Amino acid sequence: MKPNTFFRRISDRTSGHAAGRASGRVSATTLLAAGLAASLALTATGCAKSEDDDSGASGDSKSGASEGDAGQVASSPSAGADTCVIGDYGAKKLDLKSATVGFSQSEKEANPFRIAETASIKAEADKRGVKLLTANAQSQFSKQISDVQDLIAKGADLLVIAPLNSDGWEPVLRQAKAKHIPIVTIDRKINAAPCKDYVSFIGSDFVEQGRRAADRMIAATGGKGEVAILLGAAGNNVTTDRTKGFEQQIEKKAPDLKVVFKQTGEFAREKGQQVTEQLIQSKPGIDGIYAENDEMGLGAVGALKGAGKKAGDVKIVTIDGTKNAVRGIVDGWIDGVIESNPRFGPLAFQTLDTFTKGGEVAQDIVIEDSAYTKDNADSDLGKAY
Amino acid sequence: MTDIGLGGRTRLDRDRLLRLLQDYGVHLGVAVLLLVNIAFTPHFLSAENFRTQAVQVAPVMIVALGMALAIGSEGVDLSVGSVMALSTSLLSLYLGYGMWIALLVAVLGGIAVGVANGALIAYIGVQPIVATLALMVAGRGLALVLLPQLKDVRDPTMASLGSGDLLGIPYLVLIAVGLALLVAFVVRRTTFGRQLLAIGDSRPAAKLAGLPVRRVLILVYVCSGALAAIAGVLATARLTASDPTSLGNLMELSAITAVVVGGTPLSGGRVRIGGTVAGAVLIQLLTATLIKHDVSPSWTQIAQAVVIILAVYAARERGRR
Repeated sequence: MKPNTFFRRISDRTSGHAAGRASGRVSATTLLAAGLAASLALTATGCAKSEDDDSGASGDSKSGASEGDAGQVASSPSAGADTCVIGDYGAKKLDLKSATVGFSQSEKEANPFRIAETASIKAEADKRGVKLLTANAQSQFSKQISDVQDLIAKGADLLVIAPLNSDGWEPVLRQAKAKHIPIVTIDRKINAAPCKDYVSFIGSDFVEQGRRAADRMIAATGGKGEVAILLGAAGNNVTTDRTKGFEQQIEKKAPDLKVVFKQTGEFAREKGQQVTEQLIQSKPGIDGIYAENDEMGLGAVGALKGAGKKAGDVKIVTIDGTKNAVRGIVDGWIDGVIESNPRFGPLAFQTLDTFTKGGEVAQDIVIEDSAYTKDNADSDLGKAY
Repeated sequence: MTDIGLGGRTRLDRDRLLRLLQDYGVHLGVAVLLLVNIAFTPHFLSAENFRTQAVQVAPVMIVALGMALAIGSEGVDLSVGSVMALSTSLLSLYLGYGMWIALLVAVLGGIAVGVANGALIAYIGVQPIVATLALMVAGRGLALVLLPQLKDVRDPTMASLGSGDLLGIPYLVLIAVGLALLVAFVVRRTTFGRQLLAIGDSRPAAKLAGLPVRRVLILVYVCSGALAAIAGVLATARLTASDPTSLGNLMELSAITAVVVGGTPLSGGRVRIGGTVAGAVLIQLLTATLIKHDVSPSWTQIAQAVVIILAVYAARERGRR
């Protein structure tokens, strides 16, 4: 063995061209490269003409929050549930109208859920005439921490946070505590003491969503046969909860319905399609597919179409409630969509309003998600995001 | 070289065996996986199944072809996944003009990224891994600026490109095979191919011999970018949707794995196109086998890791030549 020669070879090469003539021409060529990238970006959009430019169908995905009746409803908390009042939290009463609210979004607005969520917060702030500061962490947790610290520094009196992670919030919470800033977290919880470190959490119950998807699947298949699960991204609490709820409910209510296939589609349409293609090759008799989000479900539809199946041959149940999936119900390919409502705006601001006026708010506000089936898909298509 | 304990003859045999295994191990792997599947996987021996596997592997294979060129020149191209995303964004933006123009723009986008990569590497002397890493980040960002979220593609020509076939062979597979033959021809029979290998073997020597090192390097990354863009277009056609958020994610790793498993040494100077194709097929079959048998996703990842480690081990042996 002569590891030395190998390393020497590498180091010869690195010092050979990296360090050698890096200095002189760098600035000019960097400029050239930057200019190239910039011009590409400019020309790329300059005379673009997408398919929608003719049909005028674009932008319907952005209208999410403006749908009047689509805001969230809290499922009434049971009487004994923990609540929080302003005195316990240690903040001062203030008028929401004259306050500044800071909103920290976790992921970039690249998927329908995040787009609708941010739009809903902005729309509600507009409606109430509240000054809103926003930040987007682009899926980087360290950025979200500094985002929230920036929001505090810019003078936010109240905070609405869509956390990327549940842990690691201590520095922010301490800073907010020092300034007595009430915090409401939406869609994900943070691991801290409610009514002490933050006021309330507003979100969906993902396990319950899984259970309701199972109910839908049992109804669609008649409670017998074999079903497959397209899992979400690994190591994500949404994935584990939606799987847990589904499997528990199936086991309890329909022991004849067997889960014979569980593979990840990573919440993406392409992966969902690929996995479903493998599935229908190896198990042509599959009766149902439970996709843990709409995108994977739509991928499954693509795979079934490609394999020459007819709409309704394989029952598909998905979770989220995006427009495309609800359209899939209208077309007959998807059997049911369990909604995960992203329109947190009205409920979040109402909670803050009640709280800052001195009223009592629940520490855990679980929202009521609706569902789309054949009966309401056509009429409720406008409610989908 | 210095293993004195072994007798001359056994050592020779072991060396030859090792060399054979390194060169044809990937073909052996594909054969073993096929046999295992025929024996144990229900419904495996059907035309429909092979069609599915071939269609799924086509984009990876095309990207791997470009990656093989980059690795052959003693570089690497990490930006291929982002180029796929960029190409799907551009395609969606320009589809209003018809498929062919959109396709042209998408490939031009890939070429532009290739030029930027090549210029950084050849003129500024940035390490390929760093230069293409920069373009990997920038490319994905640009793709998302152009098209922030998934958008459906309704163009019928695109749909038929994704799911149509000629004499029972899907267009995707035909295109992939055609490109593989083309790249193999370029590497073996053209001046550019020889120059590429010479530069990969030793850049200073190639420079001293008067080869147009910079031009060839830029061309290498342009090829890689264009191939990745084509793969992006084909993947879009298959999905009938442009999804720059997830298309091409971790594609660079799949492509590098295919190339390395296929017997192309990371130290450059040698490109095995046949092996690269077989490497891509091997990974596809491995994934398919594990998915079809519903092995837990975490085990699938571990199995892929084992293949990569085996390939890297083989590459290390080769490095001693």
